[in-house]
Amino acid sequence: MIAATIDDNIDRIKSDLVSRGLTYDRLLEDILDHVCCMIEENMEEGFDLDSSYNLVMGSIEETRIPEIQHQTLLNLDKKFQRMKSFTYVFGLSSALLAIVGAFFKRMHWPGASILITVGIVLVILVFLPLYFITSHREQVEKKNPAYAIVGYLSIALLMAGALFKIMHWPGAGVMIRVSIGFLIVGFIPLYVVNAFQKGGKEKVRLPYIVMLLVGISVVMLMTNVRISKYAINIFLEEVVSNEQYLGEIETRTGRLTEMSHDSAYADKQSQVFRIHEKAGELQVIVDELRESLLQSVDQPGATIQEVKGKDKVIRHRGWDATMDYDKEEEFIRMALGFRDMLNEMLLDPVIRCQIEDHMEFTRKVWPYEFGERFAVGEPFIYNYYLLTKISKEIALTEFVSIQYILRH
Amino acid sequence: MIANDLLKGTLRTIVLKLLADNGRMYGYEITKRVEELSAGKIKLTFGALYPVLHKLEADGYITTEKEFIGKRVRKYYTLTETGRSWSEQKVDEFLDFVNTLTYVLNPTPA
Repeated sequence: MIAATIDDNIDRIKSDLVSRGLTYDRLLEDILDHVCCMIEENMEEGFDLDSSYNLVMGSIEETRIPEIQHQTLLNLDKKFQRMKSFTYVFGLSSALLAIVGAFFKRMHWPGASILITVGIVLVILVFLPLYFITSHREQVEKKNPAYAIVGYLSIALLMAGALFKIMHWPGAGVMIRVSIGFLIVGFIPLYVVNAFQKGGKEKVRLPYIVMLLVGISVVMLMTNVRISKYAINIFLEEVVSNEQYLGEIETRTGRLTEMSHDSAYADKQSQVFRIHEKAGELQVIVDELRESLLQSVDQPGATIQEVKGKDKVIRHRGWDATMDYDKEEEFIRMALGFRDMLNEMLLDPVIRCQIEDHMEFTRKVWPYEFGERFAVGEPFIYNYYLLTKISKEIALTEFVSIQYILRH
Repeated sequence: MIANDLLKGTLRTIVLKLLADNGRMYGYEITKRVEELSAGKIKLTFGALYPVLHKLEADGYITTEKEFIGKRVRKYYTLTETGRSWSEQKVDEFLDFVNTLTYVLNPTPA
């Protein structure tokens, strides 16, 4: 009797399930039988068919059926499963590559930059898109492609920014800031809203958000170069004293060059002139670099005393934006040329040693190849101080060289 | 009730073990049996069950036979040979895991 009633309604139940999105035949058979069993159980407890049917169907959430079908089909989709495992293996190996690269960089072994770059580029171009595609396909209700897109953009940009930062390529600061903006106003709200919409079924993965925030703060710390007021004042004192020394040295060098005009030094005049000329050219460029640094603070005509603590401004614009790389390269090339010239002129080992000491900045400030940029990420006042120190050292080099030539 | 996320990875093992013990079973029967054995603590929903069953079938661990119950089809699931040995292995592994956990969570004083 009961079985007959269910059988009478079997087509109705079936079409009901189909209209809820159950289109995969093999699963439909299973669930149809399952639902009928549930109905029968209710009927045994005394409900009539209709109310029992409504009870059962009412207990199944609207989204549940398509979700089950989606999950079943994905489980069966060998290609998708392969893609998923490929994604993880690939992501892991690219990350490993970048980590090995970081280790190489620490050890100053060759090839570090290539390893890091390849690792991060692979993560950005292969792993991340695959990851977002697979996880998007796993969602039943394709809620918002914006979620995947914003997520991809912000994480890809953040990693690219980190890469640029490590490699000292220009534009890193902007990329990092934009990506953090994306994360904070785009990705995290979307993520939380998405997770809450799903209700209890999928919990907000709090650890992910915490990790993300910690990551953001680490990146922010990396770009943060604030120093204490005390340190700022020490550097400022150094700047002032460097400038005073520079003035004094230049006066004395002036006296020496005047002296060299005397006919007694006729054979030495050309050497003195060349040294003086080269040193002067170097001073012009250092002044220009210093000027461009000052201008980056956006306070026209301000002195260093007034803007000594303007670290924040510099950081927001990024040192990258303030530094003229071409000029910087021109300067270091000329400084090295200056040193070589003096080495040729002055054969005395003691005076050479003295010059080497003064010209040490050519090795200390630019210790590696040109990829290693001057003073990137250092506080504003520190960079300014370095430039005044370099100025002073050039003047000293000039003075001791000319003095030596005139004496011997 | 046992929380869903605790059940997640173990569902496959439970299904394999039930089929090994009971021969052939159909889906609803499996959920009922689990409920009964766990004294109502594990309520297996069909949403969790069928994706697993279909995956096991696709991987060749179980096969199906169809039977008509009135106008509807009922699918009985049975372990294949590979499914049987795999099931033993999985159950052993899992029992080992549970025993280890018990030790860890309830250390007996030496």
